[in-house]
Amino acid sequence: MPTAPSSTEATTAATAPMAQGAADLLSRLWRPVVDTGHLVRFRARSVRRPRAVRIGWGVLLLITLTAAIAPALWSGAGSTSRATDTLTLVPTFMAGFLVLAVVSAVASGGGRELLPHEQAVAFPVSPTTDHLGALLMAPLNIAWLLQAWVLLGAAAFGRGTEHLVWLQVVLVLWLVLATAFAQVVAWTMEAIRRTRHGTWIYRGVVGATGLGAVWLQLSGNLGPFLDALPTARLLLAALGGFGLPWLAAVAVELALIVAAVVLGAWPATQAARRLPRDEQKVESSTHQARPNPAGAFAMLARIDRASVWRAVPMRRGLAVLAIGPGLVALAGALPWDTVMILPGLVVSGGVLLFGVNAWSLDGRGGLWRESLPVDPALVFRARSWVMAEWLLAAAMVTVVLASLRAGAPTASQAASLVCIVVVIVVQVVAVAMSWSARRPFAVNLRSARATPAPPIVMVGYSARLATSTTLTAMVFSTLSRGAAVEVIVLFAVPFLCWSVVRWQRAARRWARASDRAMVVTTVAA
Amino acid sequence: MSTPPRPAVEVRDLHVRFGEIEAVTGVALEAYPGRATALLGRNGAGKSTTMRVLAGVVPPTSGTVLVAGHDVRRDPLAVKRVVGYCPDVGGLVPRATPWEHLQLSATLRRLPDWEPRARELLERFELGDVAHRVTAGFSHGMGRRLSVILAAFHEPEVLLLDEPFDGVDPIGVEATFDVVADARARGACVLLSTHLRELAVQVCSSALVLRGGARVADLAADELAGEAGGDAYRALLD
Repeated sequence: MPTAPSSTEATTAATAPMAQGAADLLSRLWRPVVDTGHLVRFRARSVRRPRAVRIGWGVLLLITLTAAIAPALWSGAGSTSRATDTLTLVPTFMAGFLVLAVVSAVASGGGRELLPHEQAVAFPVSPTTDHLGALLMAPLNIAWLLQAWVLLGAAAFGRGTEHLVWLQVVLVLWLVLATAFAQVVAWTMEAIRRTRHGTWIYRGVVGATGLGAVWLQLSGNLGPFLDALPTARLLLAALGGFGLPWLAAVAVELALIVAAVVLGAWPATQAARRLPRDEQKVESSTHQARPNPAGAFAMLARIDRASVWRAVPMRRGLAVLAIGPGLVALAGALPWDTVMILPGLVVSGGVLLFGVNAWSLDGRGGLWRESLPVDPALVFRARSWVMAEWLLAAAMVTVVLASLRAGAPTASQAASLVCIVVVIVVQVVAVAMSWSARRPFAVNLRSARATPAPPIVMVGYSARLATSTTLTAMVFSTLSRGAAVEVIVLFAVPFLCWSVVRWQRAARRWARASDRAMVVTTVAA
Repeated sequence: MSTPPRPAVEVRDLHVRFGEIEAVTGVALEAYPGRATALLGRNGAGKSTTMRVLAGVVPPTSGTVLVAGHDVRRDPLAVKRVVGYCPDVGGLVPRATPWEHLQLSATLRRLPDWEPRARELLERFELGDVAHRVTAGFSHGMGRRLSVILAAFHEPEVLLLDEPFDGVDPIGVEATFDVVADARARGACVLLSTHLRELAVQVCSSALVLRGGARVADLAADELAGEAGGDAYRALLD
């Protein structure tokens, strides 16, 4: 036991508080990372079907590895002019990925929540933890995944097997960097939007960006602009394999990733300190009484329309989904056979905003609504109708914008377009109503960050929807190149019949009291 | 000698099962027109599930449930026509206004000239000034009050109030008392589920106590009043 101070104790006494302070600071900085880990484990333990989720993760990993490696083994990979052309496009794909990540994160008000707000309020979840959670959730989005797979696949085909691993490391880091950067932009926009005149500033920024993009395209400056992007330099550094340029590229990417992740915490904190004005505006809005409707169906549809059109995530989502692809088609002067693909993407994206869990629109009001004396089939028809008209509105906005520079359509093109819109809307409504009756979830669609189902489920839903609508669109796109109108209409019939059968099956399920009770009590929980 | 009144609600050996969980295990109860009956018990005793069955929201797994003479399993639509239901959670469509809720109820129940009664109820529950505001921004108490209005609006034969006092201020509680008194006066049967024993004693004439999904007591409400009633109630819960 020491009885007198040693020669080193004075120094220790002076440095101890400093060391303690540094340790505290480090602990404070590290805490959000630890908390994010807790939330991830909590989410992982609370999934309904863990085996299915494990299989889902396995499938995603398998597809990612296949996308990153398999194209390099195809004949002509890395050696033909087609491969060279593909490689030339990789910097543009990288930029495209960044744009998509930004749009997705901004539209969802800062990205998806690792833990829904209603559940998180009971816990001390900091904005930084929320920011890190949103970063982790960003890849659980079919648009993100598809773009990532296309990028990795294009690089693999363009490069071949030589130095492929080194190239893919740079590209994977780019995916992370773009996502982290998008998160910074999204939080910044959300922090701005929550200020007093923020909505107008936000609209101004979005409008100016959109106009800038259109100007680049119309003035012919898009090519030079894309060539000047730093993504091209990054790719060049990665193509040579392991060496000084590769190490420099990786170091720059890693540094920027760390910077973006750390920087994102600041606007996330600013946004969290401000009130979500859009949501509050909607929740305090008044709507004057309208005359009594003609009948029960009209009244049911009126309430359902209110549930959809007065929700912030639906309004924002619709704006992005309908106007975004339309503007791209407008700027790019896409021909009709390419425009045919757009309604499918818009409709399948639109239904993911609420349609895949359609009964959640009633929230806790579902129990009261279920106690009302009305034929369940009528309720089912009204919900389907409102979903269909909403999707149709989104598809029509896109088509009208795209049509402005696509020229006058031929009879085949016009017939194909009408058929494709009708077929896809009916197809998607049937699928969504079927999923809604089979797998309901209790969600609050109040926030712009809300999704109607857990993220991994949403990935599965969106993949299936994107596949089916794209295949359907391809059929009609092919027919639009000259098939007779009668033939095109004839092709639409089996698609419609199958969808109607599926919709009726979902209606029968909804009509069963026990199934309906399961749905209603789940969404009201 | 007068014959006893026919029960408005008659439940025999009710079982409700959700997957592996049996929420209600053989409940039997009767409730009469012109009377208010309290449904008491601990959390998970099966009160809300029983109410949901009576409202036609959840079908019974087995047993007999008659509401105003209608079998809930065979004719749930007829049951829904005669019942007014205030659910235990929420009960409101988040992005619709109170007026739109009332309009939906009036349309589906074919109520003519419903507007004056709707206005009167909204005023009585002090919700007149928010009649056209979306309910998502309502406080919990406001939501509860509106749920009671929606249940009582069409003057049902059977009024089912599940936790109507939860988070409600004294004015709302008094207005709910008035609604229950009005319902009894016109001969309606009232079933009221609550954890607030003293309020149940004030507003109800009889009480049923559920435990573990089954009925354990059927007694006059005043037997549960005061400290002695509290002790008796606790003894029934253990």
